[in-house]
Amino acid sequence: MLIEQLINGITLGSIYAIVALGFTLVFGVLGIINMAHGEIFMVGAFIGVLTTSVLGWPLWLAFLASIVVTSLLGYLLEIFSLRPLRGKKGVSHLAPLISTIGVSIFLENLSHHMFGAGNKPFRTAFAEIRFEIGSITIYLVQITIFVISVILMVGLSVWLSKTKAGKALRATAENLETASILGVDTKKIITLTVIIASGMGGIAGILVGMAFNSVSPQMGLSMGLKGLAIIILGGMGNVKGAMVGGLILGLSETLLVAYGDSGYRDAIAFIMIILILLIRPQGIFGSKTAEGR
Amino acid sequence: MLGELLNPYYLQVLCFILINIMLALSIYVPLSSGQLSLGSAGFMGIGAYTSALLTIHYELPLYVTILVGALLAGVIGIIVGIPSLRLTGVYLAIATLGFGEVIRVLFVNWESLTKGSVGLTGIPQLGRELLKFAKSIGIEPSALGLKNNQFVYLSLVIVLLIIVLFILWFVIRQQNSRIGRAYSSIQMDEKAAESMGINITYYKVLAFAQGAFIAGLAGALFAHTIGYISPSDFSYHRAVEILIFTVFGGSEVIIGSVFGATILTLLPEVLRFVSDYRYIFYGIMLVILMAVRPQGILDLYLFYRLKGKRIKRGTS
Amino acid sequence: MVLEVKNITKRFGGITALKNISFTIQQGEIYGLIGPNGAGKTTMFNCITNIVEPTEGEIFFNGEKITKLKPYKITEKGICRTYQNIRLFPQMTALQNVMVGGHSRISAGVFRSVIRTKSQKQEEKLLKEKSEELLELVGLGQLKDQFAENLAYGQQRRLEIARALASNPTLLLLDEPAAGMNETETDNLFDLIKKIQSMGITVLIIEHDMSLVMRLCDRITVLNFGEKLAEGTPDEIQNNEAVIEAYLGKEEEETIA
Ligand SMILES: Nc1ncnc2c1ncn2[C@@H]1O[C@H](COP(=O)(O)OP(=O)(O)OP(=O)(O)O)[C@@H](O)[C@H]1O
Ligand SMILES: [Mg+2]
Repeated sequence: MLIEQLINGITLGSIYAIVALGFTLVFGVLGIINMAHGEIFMVGAFIGVLTTSVLGWPLWLAFLASIVVTSLLGYLLEIFSLRPLRGKKGVSHLAPLISTIGVSIFLENLSHHMFGAGNKPFRTAFAEIRFEIGSITIYLVQITIFVISVILMVGLSVWLSKTKAGKALRATAENLETASILGVDTKKIITLTVIIASGMGGIAGILVGMAFNSVSPQMGLSMGLKGLAIIILGGMGNVKGAMVGGLILGLSETLLVAYGDSGYRDAIAFIMIILILLIRPQGIFGSKTAEGR
Repeated sequence: MLGELLNPYYLQVLCFILINIMLALSIYVPLSSGQLSLGSAGFMGIGAYTSALLTIHYELPLYVTILVGALLAGVIGIIVGIPSLRLTGVYLAIATLGFGEVIRVLFVNWESLTKGSVGLTGIPQLGRELLKFAKSIGIEPSALGLKNNQFVYLSLVIVLLIIVLFILWFVIRQQNSRIGRAYSSIQMDEKAAESMGINITYYKVLAFAQGAFIAGLAGALFAHTIGYISPSDFSYHRAVEILIFTVFGGSEVIIGSVFGATILTLLPEVLRFVSDYRYIFYGIMLVILMAVRPQGILDLYLFYRLKGKRIKRGTS
Repeated sequence: MVLEVKNITKRFGGITALKNISFTIQQGEIYGLIGPNGAGKTTMFNCITNIVEPTEGEIFFNGEKITKLKPYKITEKGICRTYQNIRLFPQMTALQNVMVGGHSRISAGVFRSVIRTKSQKQEEKLLKEKSEELLELVGLGQLKDQFAENLAYGQQRRLEIARALASNPTLLLLDEPAAGMNETETDNLFDLIKKIQSMGITVLIIEHDMSLVMRLCDRITVLNFGEKLAEGTPDEIQNNEAVIEAYLGKEEEETIA
């Protein structure tokens, strides 16, 4: 059914969008790619499994636990792998890349040890609730995912444009030095950014667990790569771009699996970014920067 | 006595060190012109599959197929390099990483040719071919005091060593010349380099293709060293591993790639006592290293000091 | 006529950085380009070297149109420049920086560079000698093995000039070479530019130091908000009402105050 496929695609796309938002926030403010973001997302998913399936906690508490743990991870990431590199001489754009890759290797293997290599089922009664409209089946989870992602998106946009902290964050993203001269506590803002981005990763993790009923240590990698592809697609550091890019990717993957060759599913993201980079390197919503001094 | 020292296991580790040095150099060369290309795993795969398929299906001699594999990787490097000129920094890194993933997915799905995710087996082993050749011209390993399989690995190590030395010789000579100056000037300030009369398009594509060629060569040699390949040999993990070789050792100097590849190939072997936890340690080590020495273990200033010139790291 | 700038207009989005500018430079001249901050002087340099493409208009170098040429081609033709905010290659030594400047004057490709053919060795040796001479010329002979990033500000400016000269230009563009220099350094710079002129090189110079410009230049064009305000000899410029009002007036007030 086309409509069911579209709904599946939007669900998947919404999750992609949330993951991509985390990348975009960090890139926008710090100008670096957080290669550990996928693994933080994966940890979020595992916390979901642990709290619901093993400890039998209610879902809302699982969400909370997941957000708390991933936010904490974000804080640790900032303290140990990002802050030491900031403002130091001789630090190229390679250093934060490698440093966050180090964190991702660490987290992936740690989860491997703690939870084992295979897929863990993520069963909640909630995931079984569904509606039949004519011949179409919609799961409540799908609606929830879509609603949560829209709330996050709108919330983030409003927060960025209306609140003081949000404005400070944008100023920092615009120009770190100027912002600190203007009295913005950039250190705090950067830490906040990484924490928020990681917390969003945690939310995405638990949503994926609910939607696909399975969680594994390797899921961070493929999600991370797709998140990267999406922020290129939508334009680096662009909130709206992350949402649209995520939806485009989610829909095209779902439709390809349904009507085409599912073997190429994992390549779509990259074929898309290679095309977009050739046609419009700044992404769909990105803006060109000028050169010439 | 010699027989004791030439433990095939050690020799095999040595082979991987040498192949990894080539791979590290395949990142180093484009990086020396300011291009962070993470496509090495993909180019390596192209070289490996090309050479393996040619030997399996057409029984061509290995030196031909290996060269064809490397050349094909180089040509694809040119084709990928030209459009990539528009990209810099992390954009280029992600796009080339994406290229590698597309290649890997292609290997998985093009089953009629590549046998899918199972991969290719029964690829002629270079050392064994050398043994056959030696016997055919009347050299018996036993005459050299070697067992057959010692000869196989020893000859392989020697061939790989010669190739690595040749690449090093080539890259170092190139570096201390008009070409190398053009590369580093582009790396340091592309616009200024262009104003100084340097055709940046040409040099960037050249460096990119050279990297692809070296990676393809390493891939082909890899295939004929272990005898079986599958798409997962050329995945994201490989790309990242290669990048880490270069950055760990120090990406500013060529010796950094050699050093990084050697140490990091040995490290998992040395860390065997913590077997299961070694990658956890590996991750922590990377974070610490970047915090302490973001430019890698070896850098330009160290290098100059070793040469006896007195230069301090800048304060300006 | 070495350089002919014809009706150049450059717009960046809404701002017009240059409005229909024309001027010509004769062989052997030192030609000044002055104007208040943001007047469009650097943009003029960027247009000549095609770092940014002019929106309208044409530029001729020795009678040949160079408007659409790639920047490296323009350097090959014999125009080379320095930058207002120094753009050296920081982790190269002074000597290496200058040798990069000579890139287009030697020809070895990959093969000859790696094999080290006789002709390659010869051209490298000549380039090295010439680069060392140029470093002597700008007074950096002692510092040739220092990394560019470790040089003092004034030294970096002079190194940029040496690097540009290494490309054997017939027209040299200097963007505020005296910026950040003290009086002695500026005097040395004056001598240096005169020497460069005596080598037969035509010089186009952007400079805010009025006394230097007036002593140095044969002719001057004044830009203001992207428009050409005046053109003439230093005497004519100093006595031009519009210029005094728009530019020198302010400057004098500042110096008097
Ligand atoms: N790449 C660019 N993109 C957008 N605007 C630019 C660009 N380059 C210059 N401008 C604008 O064009 C105008 C002229 O700038 P330009 O740098 O040419 O001035 P200038 O005369 O060199 O000033 P100064 O004496 O401060 O160096 C300025 O308003 C500047 O903001
Ligand atoms: Mg200027």
